[in-house]
Amino acid sequence: MIQFEQVSKVYQHNGSDLRAVDQVDLTVHKGEIFGVIGFSGAGKSTLIRLVNLLERPTEGRVLVNGEDLTQLSKPDLRQVRKRIGMIFQHFNLLESKTVHHNVAFPLSLSGTPKKEIDQRVAEILEFVGLSDKAKQYPEELSGGQKQRVGIARALATSPEILLCDEATSALDPETTKSILKLLRKVRDEYGITILMITHEMNVVREVCDRIAVMESGRVIEKGSIFDLFSNPQHPTTQNFVRTVMENDIPASILDGIEKRGSARNIYRVTFVDESAGEPVLSQVAKKFDVEVNVLFGQITELQGVPFGHLVVELQGPDQEILRVINHIQQRVSVQEVTSHAG
Amino acid sequence: MQVNLMDFWPRIWEATYQTLLMVGISLAAATLIGLPLGIILVVTRQGGLLENKTLFRAFSSVVNFFRSIPFIILLVAILPFTRLIVGSSIGTAAAVVPLVIFSAPYIARLVESSLLEVKPGVIEAAEAMGATPWQIIRRVYIPEALSSIVLNLTIATIGLVGASAMAGFVGGGGLGDLAISYGYQRFETDIMIATVLLLVLIVQITQTIGNFTSKKIRRQ
Ligand SMILES: Nc1ncnc2c1ncn2[C@@H]1O[C@H](COP(=O)(O)OP(=O)(O)OP(=O)(O)O)[C@@H](O)[C@H]1O
Ligand SMILES: [Mg+2]
Repeated sequence: MIQFEQVSKVYQHNGSDLRAVDQVDLTVHKGEIFGVIGFSGAGKSTLIRLVNLLERPTEGRVLVNGEDLTQLSKPDLRQVRKRIGMIFQHFNLLESKTVHHNVAFPLSLSGTPKKEIDQRVAEILEFVGLSDKAKQYPEELSGGQKQRVGIARALATSPEILLCDEATSALDPETTKSILKLLRKVRDEYGITILMITHEMNVVREVCDRIAVMESGRVIEKGSIFDLFSNPQHPTTQNFVRTVMENDIPASILDGIEKRGSARNIYRVTFVDESAGEPVLSQVAKKFDVEVNVLFGQITELQGVPFGHLVVELQGPDQEILRVINHIQQRVSVQEVTSHAG
Repeated sequence: MQVNLMDFWPRIWEATYQTLLMVGISLAAATLIGLPLGIILVVTRQGGLLENKTLFRAFSSVVNFFRSIPFIILLVAILPFTRLIVGSSIGTAAAVVPLVIFSAPYIARLVESSLLEVKPGVIEAAEAMGATPWQIIRRVYIPEALSSIVLNLTIATIGLVGASAMAGFVGGGGLGDLAISYGYQRFETDIMIATVLLLVLIVQITQTIGNFTSKKIRRQ
């Protein structure tokens, strides 16, 4: 659906080159919610703006539906843009127009008959839950409501792609949740491909199928949300995971272990779906001649599915412990914890 | 010779009419020139919708040039041009020409600053929706900035009222001329006070109408 092929965007900055986006290769599939996460200045906004050509790539190609938009004439580009909706951190609504007219705006640009516009606007406002606000002005709405208008406006022309540039960054956690839920509904009901960028891990955790982590213009890691949460490779990714999920074993627990002098047999068991975690361990205790001692654990939610890890200490003969590991590795991921890493 | 204020009312009314006429026509013509000029200054600037360095520099310099000439000098300097346009270099119509040339660049700058108040993000959103530059000008820039443009035009109008007082130099008439030629030069204090009060009234009414309209437009 969206393909980045060795894409770079270079800005001239005080005479030197600034590679805002640096040789990015990414593919966003049809109907998926793809998240790009990175700290401020990583190049996320630049990347997303390359999709609808608000920025032109310096090198490489961006393909939308297999089409290189840079090859299009201006009128053709405008037609394609109508099939790519976009929402923004600061909503960017027309302050002088009512909610109805804001949503009608993209339709009226292509000269859609008024009757058709009214019908579509009513339908889409219903979808985002703002039917009762049609006659109000953006100024009179809360942040969450404004973003709903933004989403309605982006969807008015029935696009195939929705680009979200920090769509929830100006909203409180509760409102963020409701907007993310709405975005999920957009994908589920309309099958729209969503590319969203954010600096908040809890946002991608909530809705994204796959994510890419950006740093200094480069994609440093990408994969399914489960892969990145359960096994982050790059330090930056690990930092992001840590913002929503404490990976380190608390110092007090480590101290306790060290005092007992048995730092050897500690394992981190990572599991998806609650049914996988604890039952496995309780089985182990029954089946094998080992004692399972849970030191620490945390469970979070990835796309509505519980995801967590338990740090356990296995006590028993080494031989037996190896058998245990082999056994449970078939169902969950197990990593040995060395005392310094946690 | 002492002129009785009461007998003088018809002259005051005529002068008021001349002032309103001069200001009204000049404002209309200057807006007609200044508005597109202001739009051009915004869209051709760096990062603008239709970025064009050469065009921007050219228009900006012309505007600056006319903005730097004091009105009284402009009035005299362009006399030949005025004659060419209205066929005469004296009279109310003759005063309109320099007034327009004086205030059109001013209005261009005011419009420019109003349009620049529109958040770039809103313009970008329209671009992302596939709007043409013309659609963005007509349906985003102007409506979003209209309330501010109206306030700025009010300022320009009041500036015109002031400048029109100097129209007496080309026989343009008007309240300012009356105040100077009778009140100041012939020491008719009460006539001067009456005309000045009328000017104050016109400015007040203009500002009130401007404020009201601007507020009204923000929420059509
Ligand atoms: N038009 C521009 N001209 C010059 N440099 C730019 C331009 N746009 C972005 N940059 C630079 O490119 C880099 C990436 O910017 P970008 O806005 O893409 O980051 P971001 O990841 O979206 O950050 P944030 O989370 O703060 O929005 C930054 O160093 C920025 O200063
Ligand atoms: Mg950004």
